[in-house]
Amino acid sequence: MSSGMANEIKLLSGSSHTELSNKVANRLGIDIARTTSLNYSNQETSVTIGESVRDEDVYIIQSTAPGDVNDGLMELLIMIHACKTASARRITAVIPCYPYARQDKKDKSRAPISARLIANMLQTAGANHIITMDLHASQIQGFFNVPCDNLYAEPSVLRWIKENMNMADTVIVSPDAGGAKRATSIADRLNASFALIHKERPRPNVVGRMVLIGEVRDKVAILVDDMSDTCGTLAKAAALLRENKAREIIAIATHGILSGNAIETVNNSCLSKLVVTNTVPLGDKLERCPKLQVIDVSGTLAEAIRRTHNGESVSYLFTHVPDWDQ
Amino acid sequence: MVRNIVVLSGNSHPSLVESICNILSVPPCNRILTKFSGGESRCEIQDSVRGKDVYIVQSGGGAVNDHFIELCIMISACKMGSAKRVTAVLPLFPYSRQPDAPYNKSGAPLSKPKEHKSKEKYTFESVPATPGPGMPKSVGLSAGSDLVREPFFEKGPTSAPAGHSKAGSVSSQTGSTTVDRDYRSSMSMGSDFGGLQAKKGYKQWVAQAGNLIADLLTCAGADHVVTLELHDPQYQGFFDSPVDNLYARPLLKRYIQQIPGYKEAVIVSPDAGGTKRASGIADDLGMDIALIHKERRPTKITDRQNATMMLVGDVFGRVCILVDDLLDTGNTITRAAKLLQREGAQEVYALVTHGVFSGDAIARVNASTLYKVIVTNSVPQDLHQEMCPKLEVLDVSSIFSEAIRRIHHGESLSVLFQHD
Repeated sequence: MSSGMANEIKLLSGSSHTELSNKVANRLGIDIARTTSLNYSNQETSVTIGESVRDEDVYIIQSTAPGDVNDGLMELLIMIHACKTASARRITAVIPCYPYARQDKKDKSRAPISARLIANMLQTAGANHIITMDLHASQIQGFFNVPCDNLYAEPSVLRWIKENMNMADTVIVSPDAGGAKRATSIADRLNASFALIHKERPRPNVVGRMVLIGEVRDKVAILVDDMSDTCGTLAKAAALLRENKAREIIAIATHGILSGNAIETVNNSCLSKLVVTNTVPLGDKLERCPKLQVIDVSGTLAEAIRRTHNGESVSYLFTHVPDWDQ
Repeated sequence: MVRNIVVLSGNSHPSLVESICNILSVPPCNRILTKFSGGESRCEIQDSVRGKDVYIVQSGGGAVNDHFIELCIMISACKMGSAKRVTAVLPLFPYSRQPDAPYNKSGAPLSKPKEHKSKEKYTFESVPATPGPGMPKSVGLSAGSDLVREPFFEKGPTSAPAGHSKAGSVSSQTGSTTVDRDYRSSMSMGSDFGGLQAKKGYKQWVAQAGNLIADLLTCAGADHVVTLELHDPQYQGFFDSPVDNLYARPLLKRYIQQIPGYKEAVIVSPDAGGTKRASGIADDLGMDIALIHKERRPTKITDRQNATMMLVGDVFGRVCILVDDLLDTGNTITRAAKLLQREGAQEVYALVTHGVFSGDAIARVNASTLYKVIVTNSVPQDLHQEMCPKLEVLDVSSIFSEAIRRIHHGESLSVLFQHD
């Protein structure tokens, strides 16, 4: 890519997930722009910009590091704002795992719709475009008054299943009613059968009683979900599937937040594998959890950036994995 | 008893809210304010706010970003819960003082981290290391009183993301341990000092979060903002909504008047920026003023500290009262105290509105020649007071409760701005 010309892709990276940013930059064949962010001793975030973004097409990649969501968010907002004040032509926030996505409705009196607040904050800071992946509820796109592209990890997941699993005796299982649509979509694409677990959730992060609907006996059950956080649900669902005589149980989730005791929970569960994408930094979790496997989605993000920059359609990515190797 | 009012407390400063509520004789609003295990803030307001006048008190110290996002979520929740008006009360305004770029012209950090600096080595000459890539995150002293952090956070250096460089671990004086955060900058820099190397021909700059914070508060739904002693009075102009900038000056003046023989003392401003603040107090009390001129950027690499500090005014044999608005790392004020001592001053008091005491500030103050440090409780001071015998705290809850009462009743606030 030629340098010195205006309106090129400028890729900025927040500090939460530099590994993913590097992968995306490599795919695009560009360098990450020179910025740093520091925390001063009073814990305020300070962002230094070392490169002109004037009249450029700026993409800022920032994921949500578990435990550090608010710091990452402030860093992203400050970076967006900095680019805005530095006269960037367009600023796209690339947020592989949208923070506060689960606080998306007023489910009781005076409950905050934080997902909407975050959407407003991103726009206030100056984001002109949002690229994200597997939103917990796709309605979150409606919280934005700017374009919001919700990419899917599904094509990458499908490819992983096809490459790693024998399709003859698998059953796709949704661990809750909310994820049924996601799971059936995968089941349809794979021509696999489908089962559903109904669960009651008395409080957030706490799982109640569970009931299996569908047949899993002697089959390989693949639990499909959009995020695995504390993994309490997954472990219980796996135990339920084991009770119902599933032969092997694996789980696939897009966002591997894996907070709290998630790793221990997974290690002690009946799951034989937990497959997540790299939308969220995993740190040393891969070493601590031998069951954990990662699908790389940087190709999809990079291609979405390239297409957005060139004004091409992104919808191809909703059903296909971009082939960067050819 | 004030009617139809709701005072909601953030996690940053519960004791201040308690005394504000006591003065107003209203109970604080019941709320749940914690974090989910993934690190997202969780907020539930349990009392009705419909049609009420809501005041949300959240200070800017400690885990600033957590507190700020928390505040925005609370504001938004109240707005969505049909509150009539939401006022954000920020005793210490976050991001109100953005430091200069901590690099010199060639891009090297101004002061490098000392290797394994031990506690005993804090003297009034020690300099806080300039934050930079690879530097550990400072927890600050109030970190212990913050919310329970996730287990992820307390795992030690092993939980640092793979492929990231690890900085040496840090120990804070409270004994609370922390994991160093990863400040690795983008990879393509390849500079010797690990800092940011700007592109050729481009002068790097530090993003100023100032009006972003203002915009975000407005976007969350704050109708009104109340704060104390903004670092820049111009900050009020960043808001489209009304901002009431209260003053702690009456409290500080009352304290000065209790110092024996204060008429003979000298008010000293530790830097040029604070001269106006200091001269205001000096004029009101009929006292003399001196000024310390401080050049932050070193002129010579070899002789970087103290080389450019100079005193304007006479302090010999007199009590000195340093006046400033914010004590952060304590570097400015302790160095000023040292200079005053060298110029023959008697006792040196420091009157500071906001005592953030970040990093090793407490140790620095303890080791300094300061006789007493007086701060307000705009940020929690309990922990600081335990560790610093020189510290005295002035209570600002009366100022805030009076402001809240007046704003609620639509009375004029200007009596609070008068400095008598």
